[in-house]
Amino acid sequence: MSDTLEQTRTHVQSALDAPWVTIVLNDPVNLMSYVSYVFRTYFGHPPAEAERLMLQVHLTGRAVLATGTREEMERHVEAMHDFGLWATMGKADA
Amino acid sequence: MKAFTFKPDGTVYAQLSRDEALLLQNLTAQVCGLLREGSATDPAIVRLLPDAYPNDHEASAEFRRFTASGLVDRKLSNAETVLTSLSSSMDSGELHLDGTESQAWLRCLTDIRLTLASRLGIETDDQEPSSDFVLQELYNWLGFLQNSLVEAVSENITAESNNSSGPGDE
Repeated sequence: MSDTLEQTRTHVQSALDAPWVTIVLNDPVNLMSYVSYVFRTYFGHPPAEAERLMLQVHLTGRAVLATGTREEMERHVEAMHDFGLWATMGKADA
Repeated sequence: MKAFTFKPDGTVYAQLSRDEALLLQNLTAQVCGLLREGSATDPAIVRLLPDAYPNDHEASAEFRRFTASGLVDRKLSNAETVLTSLSSSMDSGELHLDGTESQAWLRCLTDIRLTLASRLGIETDDQEPSSDFVLQELYNWLGFLQNSLVEAVSENITAESNNSSGPGDE
């Protein structure tokens, strides 16, 4: 019983927590064309949106690519590291 | 080496001289060696397997504990695919890549370029070219190669999305 309560408490708390974000950071190596391609194929963005986010990374140094649970963001960050993009994660309100 | 071109059957194609294929083999093998035996503090390794939590050392270490061996395995598997396709291009001088092979090439060329950039000390977008002329030229050539591959496979996804009505989920 107390286990169930504890699980419920943890679940409710994580549901109420601020969401997490996946952030892609600018680096001097990855090609603009490649970064757009990754945003398009992995996140499913239309070409114009992928281009806008790529330019945001390039010009401002970073862009938020996804928002959600910590587990989901860890999956995205790992996928970005597969592509060789420099990605990190954090709390949305941080 | 001429640029990659997209073919209507969904594959991409490039002409590659024997010397170019040998050079790419050598670079790919070096990255494999680094992934297998490189020190965790080597700047190239740090860039290939970066921290997931920039301000949280402990969380980054835990993320690495759960993901690093899978990432390394996938990077090695991509490299293996590149080496196999290079071997089969060697006699004809023609490199043909299907969709899966192209994905391995895109990622492996990125890993090679990240490693080379780390050795060349490339850290900002607007810095002067390295004084190591040979490595700098090699780095530029790999950039050309990868860009042409990105453009060729981008034509491929455009063609695919024109041919199908479904959503383009990965």
